[in-house]
Amino acid sequence: MNDKLYKIILFVAALIMPIVCGGVVYALVTDAYDAFEHFGFLKFLSSSEWSYTEGNEQYGALPFITGTLMTTLLALIFCIPFSLPVALFVGEYFKGTKVASVLSTVTDLLAGIPSIIYGLWGFYTLRPIIMVLNISPQGSGVLTASLVLSIMIIPYAASLSAEFIKMVPNDLKEGAYSLGATRAEVIRKVVFPVAGSGIFSSYILAIGRALGETMTVTMLIGNTNNIPNSITSTGNSMASIIANQFGEADGLRLSSLIAIGLILFLITALINMIGKIMIKRARIA
Amino acid sequence: MKKIFSSIITLTIAIAMVSCGGNATNGVRKAQELSGAGATFPLPFYNVVFENFSHVNGDVVAYGGIGSGGGVRNLRDKIVDFAGSDAFLTDNEMADMAPVVHVPTCMGAVVVAYNLDGVKELKLTGEIVADIFAGEIKMWNDERLVALNPDVTLPAEAIIPVFRSDGSGTTFVFTDYLTKVSPMWKEKFGAGKSVNFPSGQAAKGNPGVAGVISQTKNSIGYVGSEYAFAQKIPYARIQNARGEFVLPSSATISAAASGTIPADTRTSITNADAAGAYPISTFTWMIIYKEQNYSGRSKEQAMATLDLLKYILSDDAQNITSEVHYAPLPAKAKELSLTNLKTVTYDGVSILQ
Amino acid sequence: MNKLKIKHRLAQDRLMLWGICLLAALTAVPLLAILGEVLLRGYDQLSWSFFTEPTPTAYKAMKAIEADEPIPGGIANGIVGTMIMLGMAVVVAVPLGILCGAFLAENSKNRFAQFVSYLTDLLQGTPSVIIGIITYIWVVVPMKGYSAIAGSVALCIMMLPLIIRSTEETLKILPASLKEAGLALGGNKARVMMKIQLPAAFGGIFTGVLLAISRVIGEMAPLMFTALGCSLIRFSIDKPISAVPLLIWEFFNDPNLQELIWGASLFLLLFVLTLNITAKYIAKKWNQ
Repeated sequence: MNDKLYKIILFVAALIMPIVCGGVVYALVTDAYDAFEHFGFLKFLSSSEWSYTEGNEQYGALPFITGTLMTTLLALIFCIPFSLPVALFVGEYFKGTKVASVLSTVTDLLAGIPSIIYGLWGFYTLRPIIMVLNISPQGSGVLTASLVLSIMIIPYAASLSAEFIKMVPNDLKEGAYSLGATRAEVIRKVVFPVAGSGIFSSYILAIGRALGETMTVTMLIGNTNNIPNSITSTGNSMASIIANQFGEADGLRLSSLIAIGLILFLITALINMIGKIMIKRARIA
Repeated sequence: MKKIFSSIITLTIAIAMVSCGGNATNGVRKAQELSGAGATFPLPFYNVVFENFSHVNGDVVAYGGIGSGGGVRNLRDKIVDFAGSDAFLTDNEMADMAPVVHVPTCMGAVVVAYNLDGVKELKLTGEIVADIFAGEIKMWNDERLVALNPDVTLPAEAIIPVFRSDGSGTTFVFTDYLTKVSPMWKEKFGAGKSVNFPSGQAAKGNPGVAGVISQTKNSIGYVGSEYAFAQKIPYARIQNARGEFVLPSSATISAAASGTIPADTRTSITNADAAGAYPISTFTWMIIYKEQNYSGRSKEQAMATLDLLKYILSDDAQNITSEVHYAPLPAKAKELSLTNLKTVTYDGVSILQ
Repeated sequence: MNKLKIKHRLAQDRLMLWGICLLAALTAVPLLAILGEVLLRGYDQLSWSFFTEPTPTAYKAMKAIEADEPIPGGIANGIVGTMIMLGMAVVVAVPLGILCGAFLAENSKNRFAQFVSYLTDLLQGTPSVIIGIITYIWVVVPMKGYSAIAGSVALCIMMLPLIIRSTEETLKILPASLKEAGLALGGNKARVMMKIQLPAAFGGIFTGVLLAISRVIGEMAPLMFTALGCSLIRFSIDKPISAVPLLIWEFFNDPNLQELIWGASLFLLLFVLTLNITAKYIAKKWNQ
């Protein structure tokens, strides 16, 4: 095989990516077009009606956008107090030791558990606890979904943050120690400022994961098509409304679901892009 | 390692290839693989029927319980041989697709099941059920519930309505009933396969709703009767049009179908004005295309589809209904359906002579 | 005064250490809780028939429950379906992913390669439910039916970016001298890639493939719209087919089949975790 043929083969193989991604965007846009045309793009985003009454179909994405944002933000808040200590444990306090590698294996395994099993655990273990504690009568809802979601994203946030914490130059830290700083102070005054943007970007990527998580949320959020009026009430996320209704929808509703898929796709693409760019910058710095 | 891996893959593909063919033949025609999808409500009945049917001709039926809404969509996309639905198609829906034939397969009841500590007997009127699902009656010890059930101690707890998250014929039957008995419901929510219930919790399929009710204290929901029986969930007596409080059974469901049935069998029998009738009763249908040559289906496949429907209408199949807590079709419905099946064609030629 | 302040600072330091150890240790709790629950509730369901028999019908399960008997049947239809779809996805995704990864590694400065690299990130971050929609539009609708093929296309699209990335990264960290030596000996680029670079990178790529498999094997959302599920053991690739995660979803939604949830989950969980640990082990061996 000569070099030219070899180059061509590699190039053709690489074409698969533009084809797949172009196809994704093309299919989503063409099939979502009906919904946007019928309701208007902005109105589709801002309407909270989701009603399939024949002859008066009204579809708006607001309840699901709200549901997605609420679950994602809550998951992020719940995840920080655990993922940050894990990152410090692995990347600073016990850097390179056996315990650290055990802990990072634990978080890796957490990342490996299929989301449907997280959903089962949330439904059969966490949901009864929420009911017993009288937090919400039906047990499922935004809060329950975000709690499980937060566990799911800990590995993503922790392993990347640890990487950035590890990269903080030793001489900076030693300088601070020699001035008499305690380890806690070094972490606050040296490690965080230096690794800060890297840590921040790892949380952005964790958000990217949480946004599109489907089965866990579908099993736990309660599946009602309203804007959740508190964190304990039920709702639907963009991914869960698609999982619930895609199999049976047609016409305008199918188009509306695909439109929600398009919005979700764009949001995750944007978040991931921001995250990747920030990581690249943090790595160079 | 690489070798093992590739040999596993080769093996998988080989198996897949080999098994693509291989249909048992018999004297009349080749045994077929039929696929249908739709309602979960009659699923237990269909399971038995399909198994018995496979002994007749060797035809295998794969049925996906994906909800009536999904079944109808699959039929419209022409990717199934038949759709199962607890809601007949509306005129609008029918205008959207090629002509279809509705074949009722059995009758069943939608029960209002609940989960209340220590409560085994509950009476409800249609209007109260409507108010509960509309979120207007919020507490179990609401005075209207207490007045109707003086012998029962109802707790001072919030009611959690449970409903379907997928498009469902069961939801249609239930809301069709509520629309008939409650003007408030008619105006605010109406009847449909998917209705925007204002509060509570949703679950997928009849089994899903039954599961959530059995695991959630103080909940109430509507499910196909067989699912409540199997899960041993108690269900309420419902007041019918004559003022009687009736439990669902083969007899009370049959009583609901004593009225006239239109030629295309598309009729709702909820809130039937008949003595002893259970008010949330319904036919459930299989829907097929009148012209069976679509999506490259063979004539044999079309014949198998009709054989299946004829088998379901036969006494052999109808006798099973009450065993699984459904009710047999009235003679009139069977008669009409057999006539309707004669209009089914392949390439314009009627299949049944 | 100063002494007090130092004491305060030291106390704070120790508090932080203990707090971090405690919170970090707490993250192991969900892992143990999930493993424990699935193990305790699932182990007694695992039997020979659980792996050789298909899912029972709702009716049979109901009858068994009424008679207080264990539910008959198992998850063989799901295992077969998962293997078929995974097999087809691997056959396509692995060679394609390796070639694409090789392209990225060889042309890292090229504009087009940077674009492809960006798209790989984009696809990797795309929620699986959207992959499901896309496959439905591309494959299920034109083929007029749900099928194992459609399911494997969805799995393949999800595996590709992972395989591309691991190939690219492993090739990039190979010492440049390896390639140069090969070229100096008169091999052309293709031969050097096939005979020297890829074999040298095998461990890393293999780890990537294992991780890709373990990631998609538990995916349920895309299969729901593509493979649909089927209660029979079927080998036809153009018909609806089941998969283990699809079965778990089915069992979750049907209280009559609930007994089977935990056995199926245990099977899936063990499978995925074993793949994960194997992949980690190979990666570690490789790095030494």
